[in-house]
Amino acid sequence: MTNTATGIIRALNSGIKHIATKRFTLRYPEEKLKFVGDGYQFDPSTGVGIAGLKGRHMLFHDHCTGCQLCSIACEGVAEAIAMVKVPDQQKQNKKSIMPQIDYGKCVFCGLCVDACPFYALYMTNDYELSSFTKEGLIYTPAQLQVKPYVAQDSEIIITKWGATHG
Amino acid sequence: MTNEFLPPGLALQKADEKIMTLNVGPQHPGSGHMRIIVQIDGDYIVACDPDPGYVHRGEEKMAEYRNYITNIPHLERPVIHDSCNVLYPYVLGVEDLLGIEVTERAKYVRVICSELNRCIYTMYWLAIYGIFLGHSTMFMWPAGDRELLIDLMEKISGARVTHAHFVPGGVRNDLPPNFEEVCLRQVNYFEKRIREYAAVFYDNPILISRTQDTGVLSREDAIRLGVTGSVLRASGVDYDLRKKEPYDVYEELDVHSNVMKEGDSYARSKIPWLDMLESCNIIKQALEKMPKSGSVRVKLKPNPKGKGLNSVYKRVESGRGSLGCHIVSDGKVEPYRLKLSVGSFRNLIALPYLLKGEKLGNMPSVYWSLNYWPVEADR
Repeated sequence: MTNTATGIIRALNSGIKHIATKRFTLRYPEEKLKFVGDGYQFDPSTGVGIAGLKGRHMLFHDHCTGCQLCSIACEGVAEAIAMVKVPDQQKQNKKSIMPQIDYGKCVFCGLCVDACPFYALYMTNDYELSSFTKEGLIYTPAQLQVKPYVAQDSEIIITKWGATHG
Repeated sequence: MTNEFLPPGLALQKADEKIMTLNVGPQHPGSGHMRIIVQIDGDYIVACDPDPGYVHRGEEKMAEYRNYITNIPHLERPVIHDSCNVLYPYVLGVEDLLGIEVTERAKYVRVICSELNRCIYTMYWLAIYGIFLGHSTMFMWPAGDRELLIDLMEKISGARVTHAHFVPGGVRNDLPPNFEEVCLRQVNYFEKRIREYAAVFYDNPILISRTQDTGVLSREDAIRLGVTGSVLRASGVDYDLRKKEPYDVYEELDVHSNVMKEGDSYARSKIPWLDMLESCNIIKQALEKMPKSGSVRVKLKPNPKGKGLNSVYKRVESGRGSLGCHIVSDGKVEPYRLKLSVGSFRNLIALPYLLKGEKLGNMPSVYWSLNYWPVEADR
């Protein structure tokens, strides 16, 4: 009986101590998490990636040769990449085709970035891709060219009064 | 329609004055994505027939149509919370087939990712276990503290849940700058936090009275039924693949396997918690012993092929027990056959034995203590 009583008091006491600790949760739309780097990138010369968030892609039109390797890499994964005609003429891109990514299908594995040998396709920290229509999730090469602005203002801080997103 | 054309459980049971058949699941929150057909006499379970297969997705067949690299994103889907461990045997097997030697640093990074993922999975499981025993604090705390480790995995791999980080030849990318320091700080705090769970949950007399001596699995039965992982170790069998068959760099690390002799629901729920403390210890050791620089990925040829007719079987200790992967290659870019042998499915076989004679109210405590993940078992 005493064992039961002390056990319950111990459990309550442990819970009560948490009144004084800091709030751990993040107020999401107002505060946003901080990430390492500018998103997942890949260096084909060494064959090793660079750590970063796997978010929305970024396409460098001046590097893309229209080789379709990203599209081939996606074939067995999500089939999210389609090669489309682009109006602008690039010297290295004879066929004038560039990837168009459907984020309704993309699983953000980043294997397309690993497949690109020309430093043309990277991933960025942009993760807010929601849209009211299915068509709104399809990003054309022109949309992929834009570097996103991502607010990053809080990361996990561990204090004496518990962990918090500061 | 006569009874023989209907799946089990849907068939009309012979009317009996005392025995009632009850379908728990597959859309019942207490069962996960599976059905448990229980026959009850008043409040006591007379017979139990687990019926998995509701979320079968054909992962093994899908693997036969994809090459060794594009298999990675879909093979981690069975257990998205433990996605590094579920890929681990596949990656080890493919490396064996292709004859790749992985660098030392990559092996350590894999061990760190694997242990972080084991904790992430176990915390999720613990949250569910807590809420089904009506302990809502034990739902909120692990769900919040998981974030510390998810944050670390996000820093390493760039994704919160499905990392796709392990590849044949090492890992996709190196650790971010000054990761060791952040990791050590957050893992230390995480360890301090999970030690607090003892007062609230594991030493709580309400939990003890609900789980002690319910669903006892004896040592002999555990061996005979072939259960693995935490269920086996809770029954007093010291069998941890990290210690018995060390893969990658586990033999250089000091791994202690936790064993309890009781074999009841309480022991089965406590072993994963003790394993998390051990995982924190392993992460700290690995961070210390890890080579400070070096490559983490061996460059592969595009579309790697296995050499001739060959087969390989590798297994690792996942969050739910031994997880094996048998790959048969016939020299093409795709595997000829891929078979996943998962801990969840092996642990499920013990359920009819454990539930017989128990009260219906004890079903959640016994069922969830098996560390069962329906999606992994169905594959």
